Amino acid sequence: MAEEKKNESPKLELRPGGPRGMNARINREKPKNAKATLGRLLKYIGRSRITLILIISLTVVVTVLELFGPRFQQKAIDTFSLKDGKLTVDFGSLVTFLALMAAFSLVSAGLNFVLGRTAARLSQGTVYLMRRDLFEKISRLPIGYTDSHKHGDIMSRMTNDVDNLSTAVSQSLTTLISAVLTLIGAFVMMLSYSPLMTAVALITIPLTVFVSSMLSKFMRKYYVRNQQLLGQLNGRVEETVTGYRTVVAYGKEPESVEKFAVVSEEYRKTSIKARVWGSIMGPLMNFLGNLQYVLIAATGGYLVIKGRAGMTPGKIQAMLQYSRSFTRPVNMIANQYASILTALAGAERIFEIMDSEEEKDEGKAPVKPSDIKGNIEFKDVDFSYVPGKPVLKKFDLSVKAGRKIAIVGATGSGKTTVVNLLTRFYETDGGTISIDGINITDMPLETLRNSIAIVLQDTVLFSDTVRNNIKYGRPDADDEAVRDAAATARADTFIERLPEGYDTMLTESGGNLSQGQRQLLSISRAVLADPRILILDEATSSVDTRTEMHIQQAMVELMKNRTSLIIAHRLSTIRDADTIVVLRDGAIAESGSHEELLAAGGEYSKLYSRQFAGIET
Amino acid sequence: MKKLARYLKPYRFLAILSPLIMIGEVAADLCLPYLMSFIINYGVLGTDVNAPEGGSAVASKILSVFGVAPADRMAVIITFGLLMIAVTLVGGFFGTFCAWTAATASQGFGNDLRRDAYRKVMSLSIEQTDRFTTGSLVTRMTNDISRLVEFVEMILRMFVRSPMFFIGGTVMLLNLGLSFGAILIVTLPLLVLLLGLIIAKAVPYFTVVQKKLDRVNAVVQENVGGARVVKAYSREEYECERFDRASTGLRDTSLRVSLLLTWISPILTVTMSFATIAVILIGGLRVRIEAAGMTVGAIMAGTSYVTQVLSSVMMITMMFQSVSRALASASRVNEVLESDPVITGGTLSDGDPSSETAVEFRNVCFSYPGTSGRDVLRDINLRVRRGETLAVIGETGSGKTSLVQLIPRFYDCTSGQVLVDGRPVSDYSLEALRLKIGYVMQKSELFSDTVSNNIKWGRPDAGPDEVKAAAVTAQADSFVQTVPGGYDGMLAEKGASLSGGQKQRLSIARALVRKPEILILDDSTSALDLETEALLRSAMAKELAGTTVIMIAQRIASVKTADRIAVIESDGSIVHCAPHDELMRVSETYRDICASQMKQVPAGE
Repeated sequence: MAEEKKNESPKLELRPGGPRGMNARINREKPKNAKATLGRLLKYIGRSRITLILIISLTVVVTVLELFGPRFQQKAIDTFSLKDGKLTVDFGSLVTFLALMAAFSLVSAGLNFVLGRTAARLSQGTVYLMRRDLFEKISRLPIGYTDSHKHGDIMSRMTNDVDNLSTAVSQSLTTLISAVLTLIGAFVMMLSYSPLMTAVALITIPLTVFVSSMLSKFMRKYYVRNQQLLGQLNGRVEETVTGYRTVVAYGKEPESVEKFAVVSEEYRKTSIKARVWGSIMGPLMNFLGNLQYVLIAATGGYLVIKGRAGMTPGKIQAMLQYSRSFTRPVNMIANQYASILTALAGAERIFEIMDSEEEKDEGKAPVKPSDIKGNIEFKDVDFSYVPGKPVLKKFDLSVKAGRKIAIVGATGSGKTTVVNLLTRFYETDGGTISIDGINITDMPLETLRNSIAIVLQDTVLFSDTVRNNIKYGRPDADDEAVRDAAATARADTFIERLPEGYDTMLTESGGNLSQGQRQLLSISRAVLADPRILILDEATSSVDTRTEMHIQQAMVELMKNRTSLIIAHRLSTIRDADTIVVLRDGAIAESGSHEELLAAGGEYSKLYSRQFAGIET
Repeated sequence: MKKLARYLKPYRFLAILSPLIMIGEVAADLCLPYLMSFIINYGVLGTDVNAPEGGSAVASKILSVFGVAPADRMAVIITFGLLMIAVTLVGGFFGTFCAWTAATASQGFGNDLRRDAYRKVMSLSIEQTDRFTTGSLVTRMTNDISRLVEFVEMILRMFVRSPMFFIGGTVMLLNLGLSFGAILIVTLPLLVLLLGLIIAKAVPYFTVVQKKLDRVNAVVQENVGGARVVKAYSREEYECERFDRASTGLRDTSLRVSLLLTWISPILTVTMSFATIAVILIGGLRVRIEAAGMTVGAIMAGTSYVTQVLSSVMMITMMFQSVSRALASASRVNEVLESDPVITGGTLSDGDPSSETAVEFRNVCFSYPGTSGRDVLRDINLRVRRGETLAVIGETGSGKTSLVQLIPRFYDCTSGQVLVDGRPVSDYSLEALRLKIGYVMQKSELFSDTVSNNIKWGRPDAGPDEVKAAAVTAQADSFVQTVPGGYDGMLAEKGASLSGGQKQRLSIARALVRKPEILILDDSTSALDLETEALLRSAMAKELAGTTVIMIAQRIASVKTADRIAVIESDGSIVHCAPHDELMRVSETYRDICASQMKQVPAGE
């Protein structure tokens, strides 16, 4: 009755984030192999087995204690009796029963408190462990994984899926146990009062389940549509706001507003429908609840009047309370079931990452990065990203220590692939790559990579200070070394102009720097790392040619006594390389020095004349 | 909040009606325990309805209306039972009706607000979107507005519901027995105090939790996006430690909040059961002392009312936290609504047709708004003739992009004047001004739509032939043919499946289909390989005979064929603007740039 309303009242949330129950029920997700996932998950949670056992047993105790509440209340109320039309009370027993009721409620609240805290600890602990494992796992995955999966998707596994799981662990588990126990307990209690009334009370249960599942189905239709529209709406905002300059440049503001308004209007309409259908649920359940109430009251009243089976008003009230705690778990289980399925589906996605194959790091060759001289050799290397579409075919390349090699070629000719293979970001399909005669698969990954520094076209900066970003490759470097490296890369002038110099925090991965400045920082980083082998993959494409020229002078310094691999569009960048290698379709088309290649009049000279068409008059 | 209230105005009728209807639902709910007490007293127990002690005039009246003899206890039970069901139905009807009014009003409110806010965002000047940052604008438009809509709906339903339950329940409880009031006097302040304390302590943590979560996300994002660098420098362990620090921070704060919240449920259940105990005890005491004025039904109804009142108090307390959240959202949305575009257009729809100059910069100085820093552009004087191709070259950060952004008024110059077709840009209506211009950004922005629609963005009424022609000129046609679906193929995720060069070519096609008078290319061929760029240049030279082209570029090869080349010096001024050959003679900067690209190539080769 009045309490029935509790179900319908909005569950005000004290945790950040959206309501879970309803979403879980609406966006029903299905795990592919629920049983296996559940097993693995339990093993995960079971890391703290004692806590888990404590939680389960506390839940059982608390639920049983709570089941006795109405029973004492019944006994207390039945100390009142009508004698000769006058109400009398057995005050002694009344006080006893009330005292018992108080004691039970205190004990159960106390235990509930302990339970809540234990569950919170378990849930936060599990989430933490899971995130840590997941992150460590991700850091051990090959580049191929991050290249072939959407970053947003990986992020959402890390946050949403793990979060859902924690909710499921801390709440669904206890709720489910207590709901099932309450169901059984209430049933037993009711039976102990009156089998007849129990039977009557049960009449409405199938009706309740039927109505609520029918209504959910109906609601679901609108909610799903509603979610889609909301997604569209947010997508539109996202797209037009991030691309706002383009929108403005093409004067598309009015059109955007119009299109937005259309979706917004449809969203409004479905929202109203979804909400109205949703709100019918409450009153309908209320109606069914009251129907049950009247049925129980009438049957109970009838039994009292007939003086049968020792029926009393107190017992009627107890029956009413138990029957209510009978309906509630049914709904609760349905809700929890949905959110557990969602959590399991999330767990599956998490385990999918956990099961992915890690980078192979089995090399044991006892070399130190400082021992490496830098002779690189590719022999008969085959490679393809997608089976059947070879990128490198029987690729051979030999670079002597300390030499400067430039790789040029059209987009897709396999330039970057050479780098990916040398650093073992990807593994070859066939052939060998060796450094100083040692097969790179025989080297520990750390040794291999510490002897190589790489500057990429897409600069990667971390939200940390400028100094720490430069020190990334050599954490133990002192300030002077950092400044020297920055000076070598011509980054010192702009860094010193930053508000806090080297201690300036970079926001959003260096979003407060220009593309060119970011590039200079990542070059400084490579300079400081001081590796035997240097790879510049389009490293200066975002830097203007004049700045590039300055860096280049520094680069000449930097490349001295180092093996360097340079990949570039701009031919001016690579002219003074010892050898220029022209790639075409995954194989070397020609190679030689700038002059040799020009003289040969092949692919390179064509590229060259096109780039500098008409300059040399 | 007040400013947002005007969005409710069109729905004020429903907004006022909704709480009124809610009164009906609450009243129905409050009736139920009362009717139940009749069933117990006069049906089950068989107390005389008309007895001076324990009788009820209301119950007697009801029975006489339905013509039921008070002595027929079964009939009494059924009568009141049916009445209860009827009251439930009425309450349910009111409840659903209220849900409809509340949803209609709040969704209407949301729709209007969202549209206005979006229109506002779409009218902002670039510098304002810079200041808000795109991420924040998107959150304001999505999360904040959704939260406000939910809040309005909740006000219309729950803010009225809980206090009414509270008042109604209290009245009914006192009606059953004034002595029950004592229970409320003790428990209410206690409950409010405790819950209030917990919530007041917990709420500030929510923002902290959010911040720590952002931190965790940032570390993950950086690691997933920058995996190559992490691996190249073998910093996996360091990153794991960094993540662990962020993650531990998140865990500790979340745990603190969770632990704080575990107090709520025990406090609530203990208070409620003690209040219930108190009702029965007081009932017992009164029966023992006076043996009158109390009935079993009243005690039972009393326990219901006491629970109702206490839970409504809990709801009210909890609502305060949603008020504070809604207020935060409201002020964030308000900030958007209140910002008027800094750059507004004039009325001019076209320039001076006799003007020889397409674009002119007169003594232009520019520094980015909000930065007290140095001028990015210094005293620029530059005339671009109609049909001329002007290239702009200069160092990174010298202000090339800033210069061309002044033409479509993305920003206004700090001093001086920019003229298009002989008239100041500020005289034009923004629409007319931008219609003259085809602007290709440095970073191409494509939209999740078909290839053809992305190109047609430039001119919605362009026919398929024109779209194709533009694509052909932009060297995009050949790869579009290989996209599944060709021109009708969808670009997933804003063209994420395309390479940088392909995106640039589509953006160029978009500008070309517009057939603009002025075409601005902001380093928009940087991702093209040399061969394609050369093809593009010659195709454009052929197709864009009458168009004024202003292009920013890095490579000398790209700018060399331009009619004139403006060299921006590192201090943001333009000293020389001349054809290549002349610049080679007069501009040291230009020679430097040239040399950097021509290094070691013997002259006259």
